[in-house]
Amino acid sequence: MSVALQSEAIDVAAEYTQLVGDRPGAAVVTFTGYVRDHSDQHAVTELELEHYPEMARKVLSDLGQLAAERFGLRNWRIVHRFGLLAVSETIVWVGAVADHRGEAISACELIMDTLKTDAPFWKREQGPAGEQWVASRDSDIARRARWQSGEAQ
Amino acid sequence: MASGSVSITIKLFSALREALGESEFELAISDISQASAQLDVAAIKALLSQRGAAWKEALNQPNLVHALNHKVVFTDAVVSEGDELAFFPPMTGG
Repeated sequence: MSVALQSEAIDVAAEYTQLVGDRPGAAVVTFTGYVRDHSDQHAVTELELEHYPEMARKVLSDLGQLAAERFGLRNWRIVHRFGLLAVSETIVWVGAVADHRGEAISACELIMDTLKTDAPFWKREQGPAGEQWVASRDSDIARRARWQSGEAQ
Repeated sequence: MASGSVSITIKLFSALREALGESEFELAISDISQASAQLDVAAIKALLSQRGAAWKEALNQPNLVHALNHKVVFTDAVVSEGDELAFFPPMTGG
């Protein structure tokens, strides 16, 4: 039940082993996000992630706690990177362990949907067309809103 | 009602940091009159907007996010001595 903010690549296998430990529970769900080689309009060669460390740690810790209480998680872990990232590198990793698949899947989805809009990270894309800050997406805001309206649960 | 002098930390991130050329500074607000309204986020925004056109434009974007002591707040949140107030565009993590 912890958060890590790091500049180095995420060791997904090691994170999984650590998350599951000796007692996997009945359901383990993980999500890994990678840097895409394109945005909506441009080719992307590199991504820079700026963050607000103190607030990011607090928001992600509170989010993990919320998901744990809502879905009765046995364990959870959120790892988010910052700094300069190349295409195909890991950006984010979320793991949730529960007694049943529904809870583990929903917890992972709640954490990712909320993290996209509520955790203080900002992406700056670099590519042949130059550099630009990534704008927030309406689809991300809509996915986040489903958890507040009760549409997703 | 605020009175005396208040010192807070201002932090700016992402496009706002870039546009204004500052990432963090201490803001000492003196001469807060007894008669003035409560010192809230809106008052700080108004104060910083006096620094010039770039500040006014950046701090009055409709989608600007304000975080007081690491929590997103509305502009009516009251600011106190020692607080940390951050301004930034919508977040795009994950």
